[in-house]
Amino acid sequence: MIKYRSVYEIFLFVVLIFVPADLSRTTQHDSQDETLWLAMNQAEILRFARALMQSYDLVAPRRKKGRITLGTLSDAADLELEFPPSVHSPKKFLFPHWDELFRFKLDGNVLLEAESAAPPRIIFGMHPCDLHAVKILDDCLFEGETDSAYRAKREATLLIGVDCVPDDHCFCTSLGTDRISSGFDLFFHRRDDKYLVQTGSAQGRQLLADHAPETMAGSHEAPLALQVKQCSSHLQFPTESLPLLMKDAYEDPIWKKLGQDCLGCGSCTLLCPSCYCFNVQDKLELDLKEGQRVRTWDSCQFDQFAKVNNGDNFRSSQSDRQRHRFYRKYKYLWDQHQRTACVGCGRCSRECLAKIKPTEVLNELFSQTPQQQLATSPGSEYQPQMAKVERIEAISAEDRLFRLRVPNNFSFQPGSFLQISVFGLGEAPFSIASPSDDSNEIELVVRRAGALTQALHRVRTGDSIGIRGPFGNGYPVDKMQGKDLLLIAGGRGLIALRSLMLSLLAQRDNYGRITLLCGARSIESLLFHEDLLEWHHSGLIDCRFAVNEQNNSWGIPAVDVSYLFRDLDINASRTIAAVSGPAEMYRQINPLLFRLGLADEDIYLNLERHMKCGLGKCGKCRINNICVCECGPIFPYSSVKHLAEAIER
Amino acid sequence: MKTRIGFFDFTGCEGCQLTVMNLEDDLLQVLQLVEVVEFRELMSEEVKELDIAFIEGSITRQQDRDRLQKIRKRTKTLVALGACADNGGVNLLASNQDVAALRQQVYGSDAEHLLTETPLPLHKVVQVDYRIPGCPIDGREFLAILQALLLEREPDLPNFAVCVECKLAEYPCSFDFGEICLGPVTRAGCRAICIEGGDRCRGCRGLVDNPRTSPYHKVLEEHGLTVQDILEQYRTFNIGEE
Repeated sequence: MIKYRSVYEIFLFVVLIFVPADLSRTTQHDSQDETLWLAMNQAEILRFARALMQSYDLVAPRRKKGRITLGTLSDAADLELEFPPSVHSPKKFLFPHWDELFRFKLDGNVLLEAESAAPPRIIFGMHPCDLHAVKILDDCLFEGETDSAYRAKREATLLIGVDCVPDDHCFCTSLGTDRISSGFDLFFHRRDDKYLVQTGSAQGRQLLADHAPETMAGSHEAPLALQVKQCSSHLQFPTESLPLLMKDAYEDPIWKKLGQDCLGCGSCTLLCPSCYCFNVQDKLELDLKEGQRVRTWDSCQFDQFAKVNNGDNFRSSQSDRQRHRFYRKYKYLWDQHQRTACVGCGRCSRECLAKIKPTEVLNELFSQTPQQQLATSPGSEYQPQMAKVERIEAISAEDRLFRLRVPNNFSFQPGSFLQISVFGLGEAPFSIASPSDDSNEIELVVRRAGALTQALHRVRTGDSIGIRGPFGNGYPVDKMQGKDLLLIAGGRGLIALRSLMLSLLAQRDNYGRITLLCGARSIESLLFHEDLLEWHHSGLIDCRFAVNEQNNSWGIPAVDVSYLFRDLDINASRTIAAVSGPAEMYRQINPLLFRLGLADEDIYLNLERHMKCGLGKCGKCRINNICVCECGPIFPYSSVKHLAEAIER
Repeated sequence: MKTRIGFFDFTGCEGCQLTVMNLEDDLLQVLQLVEVVEFRELMSEEVKELDIAFIEGSITRQQDRDRLQKIRKRTKTLVALGACADNGGVNLLASNQDVAALRQQVYGSDAEHLLTETPLPLHKVVQVDYRIPGCPIDGREFLAILQALLLEREPDLPNFAVCVECKLAEYPCSFDFGEICLGPVTRAGCRAICIEGGDRCRGCRGLVDNPRTSPYHKVLEEHGLTVQDILEQYRTFNIGEE
């Protein structure tokens, strides 16, 4: 007990003086940040380990039932610096399976007792992949509300890296996690029969100064080049392609197959160095007077993980659960932190009875993907294809309709967009104005405004222009079948709705009443005069117009589009609304739609932003946490109403 | 008033009750909260009414049925204690044998008065409110379930496989040694005690709610087992759940 007190005091000292480098860089001096490279022989390392054991819980690999497991070292002579991956990763110390959050007493009032401080600990034997995994845990657990129980352990734990011996399951070389240049306090590199120790933080330097003074006094060595490792398992494509690969793989039959193979035992996630999903339970003492609230590891692979109280299970099949695991590892966290949540340590497949290997799953997905979509040359997803201009028509003083012949037939939903390139001037997104009919001809409207659109207005029939796409999700034509439809266009919002209207009219009998409310500043700015008049006279749809222009040539009242709601007679329960116009119009129109009784999920809004890359990357079209180019631009109101940036200013 | 609990036994080895007795120090604390009103291994008293009856063993005779039904009437809550009571346990190995021939084999010519029938788990005779699986039960799980009942909270059993506890403890997988293990389909809660001891899992705690039998059988087939062999693996403890 007395020893513990003194250890505890050292811990406090360490925590107060030296916060780990990653957590507060600003407190350090530049000279302290400088990386040192120092030589150490076996005898020096042994003395160093012995000295560390006096002040720290020294965790290192140990042999247990023939397996490498991390645990407290009892004899420094047992320290190993070269070993294959351990069964559990260092997660078991930084984010343990049984983590007391607080204690409480039950008699009368509930009394909270603060958690006890984490013991000062050194993990001596962090492989590069495991150090990368700690960075992932840091990203996830320090994001937003900091997880203080994790932070307490993280801050009290020093990490000493060593190089690893990959086995058949490792695929770190494919993910670039076989090497690391930061995130450790010290790192031991093998060099011939000695080691070179590299410092990674002020704490690491201090550790050497305090516990290996003769090493610290020795001569500084030249930095070692990072060594290349070989893994027998690997991905057959660059990791940068992963998010794109996963983007189209959600409905892939491979998940069903995995679901049929998977035993649901959860070993993959429990052993994963970066999986951190957990459960919180109360554990009471036998006297039922006090207890502790504990956090235990949970697994998305368990039956009850996504189950709610009424018995519903939001991931009811093992296929859903495996898919979720792969998406968490290779897509969702990439979207948030631009790195996979997998470090290629192979623990999941090493212990999987059903032999589910991530490399095999991902390589199979890759092999099924059309190669042009996933061409591996760098930047290929940004390269446009050339499309021939078939026809150009001036549809207003400033607007031209372009009909393009595209190299491949492509399918899209009305409301999707294309990126149009003019080399030298750049690229801009344009709504598709033609119906989604699987033809290889497509129409766009270009308004003369800036340099790029002016250049497009100089294009002649027979020229070629660059296109990328189509991108985005459009109006749900399938869901609209059998329903009454209310289309509301404001100004240039009519372009996307023309694509929808033409798609609907191609199969007019599949839909109920179609009503179009169309507003514009003036008759001149109203697009598609011919189409509008044709629709109006066909009797197939009910067209109503409003322009803010007195005594206009069409002889229609000079009113706002909201005026058209006054004598609108619709059956809200069987109506879907498709709205397309400026954000200001939604603020005006949405309340009217709610008043008519339309459900949030039956109101589709076009929330176009500046969709620069179309790939969910550049962030320019982000509405709060979602990318318009990936999730929209057409959204049901129900999925954006919680987003403050969507409609409100 | 303290909660009144009792322990009863039918056909079984009494190992589950012994597990409760072996809790010793913990039991002294538990006795602050409950009163043991019947426990044949400790006392001879019998009471009219009790709150919780923990019942070990399977039902193998007509007089067992009568006695069990009487206990059911006397107790508010009835808990099956251990595999024999819960799903029949090893007693059910007798279920596909001729009863008369078995009786002759076990008791010889004196078997006339021993009117044993095909063994049954408790729930085939009376309503069972809660169950504590295992052969024998896990003492800590018994305490946790007793705690839950005292707090009027629904007791819960783990609904994941023994593999989970095996991996948490970092034990090597039985399959790595060519052993056939029922861990992947067996309900956890035993802290993989058999694996720790160097044995394999024989499934004494019964199957998880949703055993992945199809992938599991694929694994077994990869280890050279036939359908008959696979059924044999389940036989020891899980005939009642087939």
